[in-house]
Amino acid sequence: MSESGKSPAPKPLGAQPTGTSRRDFLNEVAVGALGIAGLGAVVITYRYLSPNVLFEPSPTFRAGGPDLYPVNSVTYLHEQQVYIVRTEQGFYAVSAVCTHLGCITQWKPDANQIACPCHGSKFRSDGTKIEGPAPRPLPHFSITLTADGELMVNKLETVKPSQTLRV
Amino acid sequence: MEKKNNYEAGLGSDAVKNPQRIVFITKKTSAKVKGDVGPQWMSYPHLLLRESVAFQIMVIVLVAIALLWDAPLEQLADPLLTPNPAKAPWYFLGLQELLHYFPPLVAGIIIPTLVVLALIVIPYFDVNVQGEPLWAANRARHLRIFLSTLVALVILLAIFRAWTVLAPSLAVGGLLLFSFFLKPGGRPRMEFLRTRPVSWWVMTWFITVSVVLTLVGTFFRGPGWSWVWPWRGHVF
Amino acid sequence: MATTSLDHALERLRSTRVWKSIFRRDPAHTNRTRSLAIFGNFFLHALPAKVRQQSLRVRATYYLGSATFFLFAVLTITGILLMLYYHPAVPQAYRDMKDLRFVVSNGVFLRNLHRLAAQAMVVAVFWHMFHVFYRGGYRPPREFNWVVGVGLLLITLFLSYTGYLLPWDQLAFWAITVGTNIISAMPALGKPIRFLLLGGNLVGENALLRFYVLHCVILPLVAVVLIGVHFWRVQKDGGLSVQQKVEEEEGGKEE
Repeated sequence: MSESGKSPAPKPLGAQPTGTSRRDFLNEVAVGALGIAGLGAVVITYRYLSPNVLFEPSPTFRAGGPDLYPVNSVTYLHEQQVYIVRTEQGFYAVSAVCTHLGCITQWKPDANQIACPCHGSKFRSDGTKIEGPAPRPLPHFSITLTADGELMVNKLETVKPSQTLRV
Repeated sequence: MEKKNNYEAGLGSDAVKNPQRIVFITKKTSAKVKGDVGPQWMSYPHLLLRESVAFQIMVIVLVAIALLWDAPLEQLADPLLTPNPAKAPWYFLGLQELLHYFPPLVAGIIIPTLVVLALIVIPYFDVNVQGEPLWAANRARHLRIFLSTLVALVILLAIFRAWTVLAPSLAVGGLLLFSFFLKPGGRPRMEFLRTRPVSWWVMTWFITVSVVLTLVGTFFRGPGWSWVWPWRGHVF
Repeated sequence: MATTSLDHALERLRSTRVWKSIFRRDPAHTNRTRSLAIFGNFFLHALPAKVRQQSLRVRATYYLGSATFFLFAVLTITGILLMLYYHPAVPQAYRDMKDLRFVVSNGVFLRNLHRLAAQAMVVAVFWHMFHVFYRGGYRPPREFNWVVGVGLLLITLFLSYTGYLLPWDQLAFWAITVGTNIISAMPALGKPIRFLLLGGNLVGENALLRFYVLHCVILPLVAVVLIGVHFWRVQKDGGLSVQQKVEEEEGGKEE
């Protein structure tokens, strides 16, 4: 190339000689522009790949009247993957999805415990862990009474295990 | 200004008049490749023939099995009903067995990531490229390091009650300890064991544990991931 | 008599203008034309013109790398054929499995072959890797090709895993549910990655479509590129590695 030492790049008038030559500067601009364009492409693709509308079941549901559940019982709501537990103190709703890896647990009335089929975790009916690899107890969902006297469970809202709904 | 090259890039078709540059031969070799070893054969036909025979044998075996064996197909997927036991594809059952003992972050993320990273960095560790045997030098120090590692591993696995990891680890560790006491000049098999480098032992330990975990996950785990004996007919 | 007339016919075919335009070489009777048969052919030019006698022996490789590649070829062919009868939709995907079994001629055979070859490829990749390790094939100058191989192992596992969901049966659904929940155990990044992979919070329609595209388009393309690099590097790194012991013996003779 012609720029091999003998012909120095013409300096702009009055400018101090700096460490960055014009070529270096243009290279940096080009690399920066490519980087910004690449980053923009990644962000746009990420936004595109995250769906805005999901066709998934509603997280809130009605669980029928309190009379459906006898005292001291655990009822598994198949469609909602929730246990409705009624004790003498009142109602609470326990998630049936194992906190380990999302398998659906099963209520074993004989052993009086909730068992996960995937990796052998076992829970009491209040969601506390007896054994197994599950890292957390089963969460409790918010349970309320609607105006027309039905139980209403909101799976988006978890509550403390001590909260029960008195009817 | 331009330095004139001392070769001509010929454009004519007369090879004698206008020789074309095909390759430079420099004195230094750029590639890190050693000279050829031993006699050489032409790939065509010797390699191609062998490869095509291998391909044909493989296809025949595959077709024969595919005619006799049916790919599994269960009921339609039901998000509300977890089968018991729910098992991953067989090559992930070792991982699932680990998930039975350790929290998901450890067994599902950290251990696989470490394994992959270990596999990637294997060739970049320049230590012991020659494959020096573990017991060739510094025997006492190597034995101390090995024993303390083994004890730490056993304690860690015992805390998590990971017996199916512990058992194969102890087996390989025992073999390694056995190789320490071997005298030079024994039978070929013993001599082989005695002269293994540490990388060989680590890889053998990894393979043994993976195979045992996969077999246990496939054949010895029943409902609720409890231990079953395959001949009792719980599995499949 | 029959052979001579066949030879004669072949000779005539080889002297035609069309044949010569395709192969551009004389019959492979000399070492020069045999070399040309390799590097003058697009599909073979990643192979060496000559191979060491040692690496031709079955015990040098057990054809494990070749077997992996052959299985990939079988999987590509059977996979494309299966795609013609498959809809990545819930619950049509499962019905297509039933159709393959009971309605489509030889459908069950193709599905068996695809599934079997997939399992065999996982075995072959692992076996190939362990074999290369024990033979010291990862040592310089082959270290980068070992890394490419690790990439191919991961691609193979991911291909097999994405394919596992496609029949949309209980086995598929729960294996993928458990598998993707492992990802969400990753701190901070886990949940977004899982959401992106599944296209939602649950394994559903979006997840099936995404796994389908990954399984049939994205991952095979990546695999083909990596396989090309892997083969090419074998040559650039000096051919198959020869067993250490043999090399030392040979070196000793030379000195």
